[in-house]
Amino acid sequence: MVEAVYLIVQISVIILIAPLVNGIIKKIKALTQKRTGGPLLQMYYDLFKMLKKTAVVSDVSSWIFKVTPFIVFSTAVAAALIVPVTTLIKPRWFPGDLIMLVSIFALGRFFMMLAALDAGSTFGGMGASREAMISSLIEPSIIVSLITVGLIAKSTSVFEIMNFMQEIHNPLIHPVYIMSFCALVIIIIAETSRIPVDDPGTHLELTMVHEAMVLEYSGRNLALMELGAAIKQLVFITLLVNIFIPHDQLINITGFAGIGISLLVYLLKIVVVSIVIAIAEVSTVKLRLFSIPNLAALSFILSFIGFLQYFVFGG
Amino acid sequence: MIDTETNKKLTEIFADDILDRLNCNSNELYLTVEPAKILSICKYINSEMGYPLVSMFANDEISLCENYAIYYVFADREKGQFLIIKTLIDPLKMAFKSITGKVHAAARYEREIKDLFGLNPIGHPNPKRLVFHGNWPDEAFPLRKSFDLHHKPDFAKKSINFGKVISAGVYEIPVGPVHAGIIEPGHFRFSVAGEPIINLEAQLYFVHKGIEKMCEGESIEKCLYVSERISGDESFTNSYAYCQAIEKIAKIKIPARAGFTRVVFAELERLTNHLGDLGGLCTDVAYGFAAYQFRMMKGWAYAIADELCGMRFLRGVNKLGGVRKDFIAGKELIIIKALEKIKKELMDTNEIIKSNGLFIDRVEHTGILSKKIATDLNAVGPAGRGSGILYDVRKAFPNEAYRQLEFKIPEHHNGDVNCRINVKIEECYEAIEIILKALEIMPRGKVLEQIDAVAPYQFAFGITESPRGENIHWVMTGENNTIFRYKIRTPSFCNWPALCHAVKGNIVPDFPLINKSFNLSYAGNDL
Repeated sequence: MVEAVYLIVQISVIILIAPLVNGIIKKIKALTQKRTGGPLLQMYYDLFKMLKKTAVVSDVSSWIFKVTPFIVFSTAVAAALIVPVTTLIKPRWFPGDLIMLVSIFALGRFFMMLAALDAGSTFGGMGASREAMISSLIEPSIIVSLITVGLIAKSTSVFEIMNFMQEIHNPLIHPVYIMSFCALVIIIIAETSRIPVDDPGTHLELTMVHEAMVLEYSGRNLALMELGAAIKQLVFITLLVNIFIPHDQLINITGFAGIGISLLVYLLKIVVVSIVIAIAEVSTVKLRLFSIPNLAALSFILSFIGFLQYFVFGG
Repeated sequence: MIDTETNKKLTEIFADDILDRLNCNSNELYLTVEPAKILSICKYINSEMGYPLVSMFANDEISLCENYAIYYVFADREKGQFLIIKTLIDPLKMAFKSITGKVHAAARYEREIKDLFGLNPIGHPNPKRLVFHGNWPDEAFPLRKSFDLHHKPDFAKKSINFGKVISAGVYEIPVGPVHAGIIEPGHFRFSVAGEPIINLEAQLYFVHKGIEKMCEGESIEKCLYVSERISGDESFTNSYAYCQAIEKIAKIKIPARAGFTRVVFAELERLTNHLGDLGGLCTDVAYGFAAYQFRMMKGWAYAIADELCGMRFLRGVNKLGGVRKDFIAGKELIIIKALEKIKKELMDTNEIIKSNGLFIDRVEHTGILSKKIATDLNAVGPAGRGSGILYDVRKAFPNEAYRQLEFKIPEHHNGDVNCRINVKIEECYEAIEIILKALEIMPRGKVLEQIDAVAPYQFAFGITESPRGENIHWVMTGENNTIFRYKIRTPSFCNWPALCHAVKGNIVPDFPLINKSFNLSYAGNDL
């Protein structure tokens, strides 16, 4: 019973809210630029439209190109199951840990890069090579920053970490957590293809990273790829807000009412983070591609300092 | 005025080779020389006298003197004069000596002449096709008078060869002609090693429309409309240059009010284009805030144009002999108010983008065009001024109105994207000041001098500073008020090779930014 509720809540909340995050970011960006912008739900309309269309597949591509949208989408959904939106529903089985989360994302990304190369277009190859560069630079700091938090919580389970964090009411005043938090913010920017690492709005084929990899996709396949990317973005944001800004300890009501309140607070946090991302995106500039290693290094150093501080200050 | 010391010296040194000498239109000196001597004389003018080759074109003059003529146009930018070396090519030989080895700027002109006239540049280091692609047959030369405008040649099957960089790990990236954004068509072939660009070759002329051929035999009034449509965002300056040429041939002086009206519109066009470029540059580095600021200001500038003449792209303003009507009268206050609004917003935005370290990091040291290359290729406009070439047509070849207006030419030396941005921003301020000043000192009176008929087989240059740089039109009239030959040389033609040099050594994702900082016109180049 609990497991069923957990599955339904996780999947439905994450899939339903994921496109909204993009909508909020776009809307806020438009408003800061004195534009009206598209509707808040535009991405849902786009997804429905694309799902109704057949996909055009290049006849020189192989099976990799065809299965990749499903792999990207299913890995994103699998990742969504590991990161709970609310800790009030506690399944009896172990939903997965940090290392599994990172590996699942790596699997999706690996196939995405292969598919980008598979279609044989120039831009796919460039996008794949850039993505490989960025992700190989970013991945170490994901592991280090999350493992640091895991060390303190004495568990690699995301669930356990979140529960642990709720006991220390304000994790962000502790130096270890601040470092890990900052590192994770940079990771999220890089992983979700946001400015200053990548520009989600660009259509300049020579500068794209994520957009270049999905360039050959159309129709249903594109819808799955886009939704997969949106889910991945939301999973990362969830990871950030539910670990470092926990809220479930404040809710004393049990049962479905408590879960409902918890989800509303969660939604509020997501909206706030989306607005922050939008404002940060508007006021910054995309980095030169070869400056991205500096940003990744910064992220790694932050997470590593956090890691060292754990041994100095303890949990 | 035309007999300067240097010109005298030239005629003394090459006294035996100069067959004919024609001094016309107050600042054009035509010297006809032997084809065999062309290399030495051009080399002397370019390297000893320091005059850049600003245009070069052929003309089918078989009906006039049974020969093809090639004109090498050099400009004395200090005195505001043209020195034109003309040479006659025997139709039986159909070849001329290439000067590219000594005068590098001639490279693309000679290839253009080869494609359009079938005159072969002997000794050209890279004589491949320029205007036509592989599908154009070998034996069709459209600018010869014997070629019918409506003749459709058969498709030929040849592919385009690009310069290859062969080494381990080097690969080619083909981009275009269809791009991901809504821009004009052009094919770019990058040779890259990872991200750094080793070589870039641009294959243009996808929108070759045969404008020069089309104008031949058409009335001078009709060609005014064609000149407005050479390049969408430079319609005013192009028609401005065309009108200047015809007015020179007709030997009339346009009314002072018309002169100032043209200045106002030319500067308005510059302001609009520069604001658009700056917006585009900010878009390319994903600087959303600044991009929309500039776009908003561009919209305001368009609104001024719309208010004045009912046409945002400034078509139908120029007329041979002046401007169509008095567009400015009674609207001075609207212009002043709008310009002040733009100026204030521009100052604020400029301050914000200049204090954004990340933005400066992107544009500084990106796409450096050295002064040497800029000089050799005759890079003009903001591209040249960003690399330290202090040249502006409005100062070097001033007309009556510009002579009475004071303005500064921005001076920057690094040749990177940042310098070109700064040139454009400073020129925006200058354009606003020029318009305000012109409105102040503009005399009242008529705005149009009637041109009835022009003498046949007369020729003259029209030269203007378009937003992209020096814009030179050469017109030769035919009988019954028609055009015999119309040579258009837009700034984009000069700056395309400069762009290909500026990107070398940069990384692929920086190309759109460098490209945008030049912002060249495809239509204006392909003609």
